[in-house]
Amino acid sequence: MQTTTNRPVKVQVDHLTKRFGDLLVLDDISFQIRKGEFVCVVGPTGCGKTTFLNLLTKLIEPTSGKLLIDGEPADPRRHNLAFVFQEPSCYPWKTVEENIRFGLELKKKSREETETKTEEMLRLLGMERFRKAYPNELSVSSTQRIIIGRAFAMEPDLLLMDEPYAQMDLKLRFYLEDEVLRLWREIGTTVVFITHNVEEAVYLSEKILILSNKPATIKETITNNLPYPRDIASEEFISLRRRVTEQIKWW
Amino acid sequence: MVKGKKREGVKAGNTKQILNFALSACSILLLLWVWFSVSAVNSRLIPTPAVTWERFLLLLEKPVMRVSFGGHILISLRRILLALIASWIIGISFGVFIGWNKKMNALLGSVFELIRPIPPLAWIPLITICFGIGEFPKLLIVFIGAVMPVIINSRAGMQGIEQIYLDVGIAFNGTQAQVLKEIAIPAALPVIFAGIRTSTSVAWSVVLAAEMIGANAGVGFLVVRGMNGDDMALVVVAMITIGVIGALLSVLTSWMERLVCPWMNIK
Repeated sequence: MQTTTNRPVKVQVDHLTKRFGDLLVLDDISFQIRKGEFVCVVGPTGCGKTTFLNLLTKLIEPTSGKLLIDGEPADPRRHNLAFVFQEPSCYPWKTVEENIRFGLELKKKSREETETKTEEMLRLLGMERFRKAYPNELSVSSTQRIIIGRAFAMEPDLLLMDEPYAQMDLKLRFYLEDEVLRLWREIGTTVVFITHNVEEAVYLSEKILILSNKPATIKETITNNLPYPRDIASEEFISLRRRVTEQIKWW
Repeated sequence: MVKGKKREGVKAGNTKQILNFALSACSILLLLWVWFSVSAVNSRLIPTPAVTWERFLLLLEKPVMRVSFGGHILISLRRILLALIASWIIGISFGVFIGWNKKMNALLGSVFELIRPIPPLAWIPLITICFGIGEFPKLLIVFIGAVMPVIINSRAGMQGIEQIYLDVGIAFNGTQAQVLKEIAIPAALPVIFAGIRTSTSVAWSVVLAAEMIGANAGVGFLVVRGMNGDDMALVVVAMITIGVIGALLSVLTSWMERLVCPWMNIK
């Protein structure tokens, strides 16, 4: 794998600011994400993470500043953006297979491509046996895996994940974190992963953006060079986790 | 161990089924017992089960108004089928439309709220004046009764869609038409289908009422015929037929629901 620094820039954010009336939510945020990079965003609750995400998906427009993908202004019609929400968003009326291919069909990909990518994703998730099952027949963690598969299958330019494991217990979270790393490595997607779990951020990311309290600015960008797979009990891991925790403290 | 547990589970399921069957058999027996006792007190006014059974056998042999018993049933069923198909097409389209489009709901919703509480039978005089007493007015009355629950449920279904389902489509840059077709309508389908079930039972009761007013065929007509001809046994035969067919229609719509919304029966 290439090291982070010699990969081309995928996402360029310049002086992004968002106000809602008098309320300044995001204040002059600038950063870069390189192609295929796994970036975690951490910050205190209510610091404007959701606004930050909505800006990245272009659900809302910034007050000022620019968001470039591959050097062009981000445009959901041209760029392929995918989103994994915190709440369960698997479609109960679609089978596992239909859920995974949903994004591809919405984008009107060719039948052949849709077929290939869906099969590939079913294989990567190890869910070929359950392709005809409905989400209600499966466990909560399986449905969350389908959502993640649905997003990765689109091979998006940018995949945004909003605390996807916040509702999971510890064991499931460890398991799903490894899975998301595996998918990321296999498919090479650029990922922005929002979490308030510092350990999760250190375990997953190549880069950590720490947001300050509202109005949110980037307090620090930390490059995380720990080798994968990471050992959460190792000294380096613990010291990095401590460093991020120190930065995130707003009290 | 797992297998043993499963077997126990199956056994428990069987016991439960048998119990449910026994309970419903009990309630039917109870109903029969009430019928026996009431008809024993005054068998001239209320026909006994035996007399009713004989009248039923006679009905199978001898047509009423040159239409066989099965013919009367088919005529009523044909009426509700035509009216139901029209009510489903128009009701779902209209309900989805006003449920999806807030402005349209503001524009048309209040008119609908005014018309909705008027019972279908209250329309009879107006419809008779406009369209006479032929086949069409009967279909129209059934349609009016059946279309209301379809509209109400389609609208409620569309308004109750979880925002997250729509957000996924928007985040994936789906067009408005795609979001409506691929997400909104399937998400609302279980609620819409509940409306379809209600409309079927409403249509069945309204068609009988419409036939009691002006018809020379149909199960509702048999009730009137029995009443006018002092043939209470015929009335009771027709009532039982209405009950049985109503129950069968309910089974049929449940079956259709399982077919259309297969994900609904998974717990």
